Amino acid sequence: MSNKEKESIQLLQGTLDLIVLRTLATMGPQHAYQIATRLQQISDRLLNLNQGTLYPALVRLEQYGWIKGTWGRTESNREAKYYEITQAGQKALGEETRTWRRMSALVERLLLEES
Amino acid sequence: MRHLRRIFLKFYLLFANSKVEAELAREIGAHLSLLEDQYLRQGMTPQDARRAARLAYGGVEQAKQLHRDERTFQGLGQIPQDTRYTLRQLRRSPGFTMTAILMLALGIGATTAIFSIVEGVLLRPLPFPDPDRLVILGDVPEGSHCASCTQSSVTATDIRNYMRDTESFSHLGGYRQRLFELSGTGEPAAVNATRMSAEVFAALGVSPVLGRTFTQQEDEEGQQVAVLSYGMWQNRFHGDANVLGSKILLYRKPYTVIGVMPRDFEFPLNPGNVNQNELWLPLSLRPEEFTAGSAASWNSRMVGRLKQGITAEQAQSDAERVAQETMRDYPAYMRSLRIHAVVTPLHEDTVGQARALVRTLFFTVIVVLLIACANLAGLLLVRAIRRRKEIAVRLALGARAATLLRQAIVESMVLSIAGGVIGLALAAGALRVGVSLLPQTLPRVNEIGLDWPVMLFALGLALLTGFLCGLAPAFAAIRTSVNETLKEGGRTGTSGSGHARLRSALVVAEIAVALTLLTASGLLLRSFEKMRDVKLGFRPDNTLAALYVLPQQRYATQSAIDEFTKTLLNDVGQLPGVDAVGITSFLPAAGNNWDIAFTIEGYVSPKGAGLNMAAMSLVESDPFEALGIRVLRGRVFTEWDHAGSQLVAMVNRKMAERYWPGQDPIGKRLRRGMPETSTPWMTVVGEVDDVKLGSRDAETKPQVYQPVTQTVASEGVFASPGELSAADGWIVLRSRMAPEEMQDTLRATVRNIDPLLPLYQIQTMEHAISQSEAPRRFNTVLISCFAIAAVLLSVLGIYGVIAFSVALREQEMAVRMALGGQRSEVILLILSSGARLAAVGCGFGLLGAVAASRLLRSFLFEVSPFDPAVLSLSAIAMLLLALAASALPARRASSTDPMLALRGE
Repeated sequence: MSNKEKESIQLLQGTLDLIVLRTLATMGPQHAYQIATRLQQISDRLLNLNQGTLYPALVRLEQYGWIKGTWGRTESNREAKYYEITQAGQKALGEETRTWRRMSALVERLLLEES
Repeated sequence: MRHLRRIFLKFYLLFANSKVEAELAREIGAHLSLLEDQYLRQGMTPQDARRAARLAYGGVEQAKQLHRDERTFQGLGQIPQDTRYTLRQLRRSPGFTMTAILMLALGIGATTAIFSIVEGVLLRPLPFPDPDRLVILGDVPEGSHCASCTQSSVTATDIRNYMRDTESFSHLGGYRQRLFELSGTGEPAAVNATRMSAEVFAALGVSPVLGRTFTQQEDEEGQQVAVLSYGMWQNRFHGDANVLGSKILLYRKPYTVIGVMPRDFEFPLNPGNVNQNELWLPLSLRPEEFTAGSAASWNSRMVGRLKQGITAEQAQSDAERVAQETMRDYPAYMRSLRIHAVVTPLHEDTVGQARALVRTLFFTVIVVLLIACANLAGLLLVRAIRRRKEIAVRLALGARAATLLRQAIVESMVLSIAGGVIGLALAAGALRVGVSLLPQTLPRVNEIGLDWPVMLFALGLALLTGFLCGLAPAFAAIRTSVNETLKEGGRTGTSGSGHARLRSALVVAEIAVALTLLTASGLLLRSFEKMRDVKLGFRPDNTLAALYVLPQQRYATQSAIDEFTKTLLNDVGQLPGVDAVGITSFLPAAGNNWDIAFTIEGYVSPKGAGLNMAAMSLVESDPFEALGIRVLRGRVFTEWDHAGSQLVAMVNRKMAERYWPGQDPIGKRLRRGMPETSTPWMTVVGEVDDVKLGSRDAETKPQVYQPVTQTVASEGVFASPGELSAADGWIVLRSRMAPEEMQDTLRATVRNIDPLLPLYQIQTMEHAISQSEAPRRFNTVLISCFAIAAVLLSVLGIYGVIAFSVALREQEMAVRMALGGQRSEVILLILSSGARLAAVGCGFGLLGAVAASRLLRSFLFEVSPFDPAVLSLSAIAMLLLALAASALPARRASSTDPMLALRGE
């Protein structure tokens, strides 16, 4: 267990929501597999999560009314559920991003002082 | 906002579960296919691609579970499933289920029944609009040692003055309830009617269902109008809407019916359900009610509604000002009387005296319920211990603590709700029978019933007990140590010691509270016994009594009254089997007497002692003989003691001892009223035994008897012009036949003299006594029943603990026996473990009894709350019962087959 921890980052509580929102805002409607792939790309495979763990975040965001899922077809003509960010989601993304920036700046400052 | 939306959806999805599950499966399937496609494109074989996709995705079931947890209140969603599981489990052990449900049903049922009394009598607001502003205004005399001072009263003069001069009340009026002879419609009967100011209707704020109430003007003009109660309208007039305008005769004077009050209107709010008021008449104070003796008779009460913004204290000081003025205008013969005005909330005035009883009952029944809960918790704990291995396995396989907690609580809730429903049915049944058994001292009994608040209470109680009972086994379950339990294997010898401690604690608590209740019931029983030992001062056997009131319309002169009385005594005296007959104004044991002030020659009352009050009975012929009252000294009255002769009186022993201690009272003199009142002296000619005028446990009062024929002469300035005496009385007769058989004969005799005259409250003296004992009998019986239930439950509890520990230690017992242990040693071992629990419980229980003594003291009669006999007997009984409960498992343990030790598991 301890080895694994050194290699990959544990996701902070609540950050997954922000990441998913951000992804959908930039990439447009995406299905769960696309989101997961995108996560792996940007995290440089540091973020080693099971793709299934995305689902709770998706249902939570959907229940908040921030994203909306509709069934569609992929280019390879497979069916998939596409998620799209809503108006409320755009607004929430703005707020969450600001909160996150403040938070991370604070932590950053703290860490600088400590070292 | 988003949280609200989410909570709503989480609830909603509880019900749309299957649809969402299908959608989820489809989404996961699609996801996996996409992954597979990806791996196929990378050149994997279809088989490898499939495997890789699964790996990348992670556990499908875990993902589903995470999704479920996130989208709904998962715990809630599981409850139906848990319930089904529980039901299955319970069906498998019907014995346990029945015991648990019945125990709870009894506990919850009893508590609900008692709570319905609490709710109906104490908690529910009075049935009038804005009842908090309704108050009783009255006087309490300074320095008088009367017991009933909590019930303040007023004179006719007070009613006039308070109504005219106070400023704190938006409405204020006086009222006075009396028996009235009702005729002119159906059989002549005695009805309870209240004369009251029209303002009282306005103060109470209740309108009639039919017609109208009378006005203050009609009241002052003395109009003869009557408002009927709903009950009387239904029973006597069959709900006839044309009743308005019809005439009824009250004491043979015509009154016009002008209105009918609603069904639930009740005023005055009398205790019990026998003395319900049936008629309301204008108070119409007559001039003679302001003068002479009436001026000094506090025989009415006043009710008012406080003005907005005025507190009861402000109203009281306002009324006190009026009271001071009233006192300044007192006639000379009342100069030494001092009164104070008091304002009491009507609710307090109505229920104040019942509060202690109702509270004690509720407290008691809650204790019984707690014991039932402790027992159930114990039983559930046993089940939890039995299932320890199953729980350990589940924990090892990753069951979450929350799930185990939820299941344990669901199990106990299922039991408690079943128990609650049965308990509610039991309570409904008990109330149907029980309300009629309630003592007549309890007010508002007609409002007792299973209404919504009571039902909600029962339901809440069921949920709460279920939750509390479930906690013990629930925490036992999650505290199960997986390793220990699984390693222990079958060896159950010393296991679960933590749980065992918890169970022992529960049982000790049960025994403690059961013992507290047992001592309470013992003390009450002893009080009852003591009360039964109290000498009544008269012989109740073979004695019949009945009240008559002669209507003034027909008996307008003293000679007409005397003629009736003479004929009555003569006719009844000549009935076959009648040994003695007499008339008395107050019947012993009936509690309907009142006290008047006396001045005793040569007696100087100590400073601040107030008035010399004594209960006065006016008698004719020989009620002493008829009632079996012993004459101690001197003589009884004879027909020579008439209006014109020397005024005479008889006193009881208490009176004689108080005012002429160590002397012969015969020949001493006393007179009515205060020293400044001019009344003639009466000479004491006889002394009789103390008679209990109310219940046996009430204090004996000083008593004075006087020939009714000398009433007017002895009243001096109190006598009003043209005053008549002997217009009412209790006729008492002693017969050689059973008094019940004499009833019809007595009625027929009276009907012969005056066919329209009804006899009221015809009863044997034994009945009167039983009535006076009813309140004490009621709380003694009820609390004893609860105590017995508590003791049985706690014995069951101790049996459960011992039996279970014996079952767990079977192996150990077998080893002991195999190694040569004697059966008697094993028995002793088990018995002593039971006795230890019981002894600790009894110790706490005695402490509890001491703590409860304050609550109990007011219900005891000549018994100390620390009565050593009762305390030690209860403790010994509890110990013996506990030993008996452990004897059964001890015997079973002693017959353990030693071979068990060898065979092992």
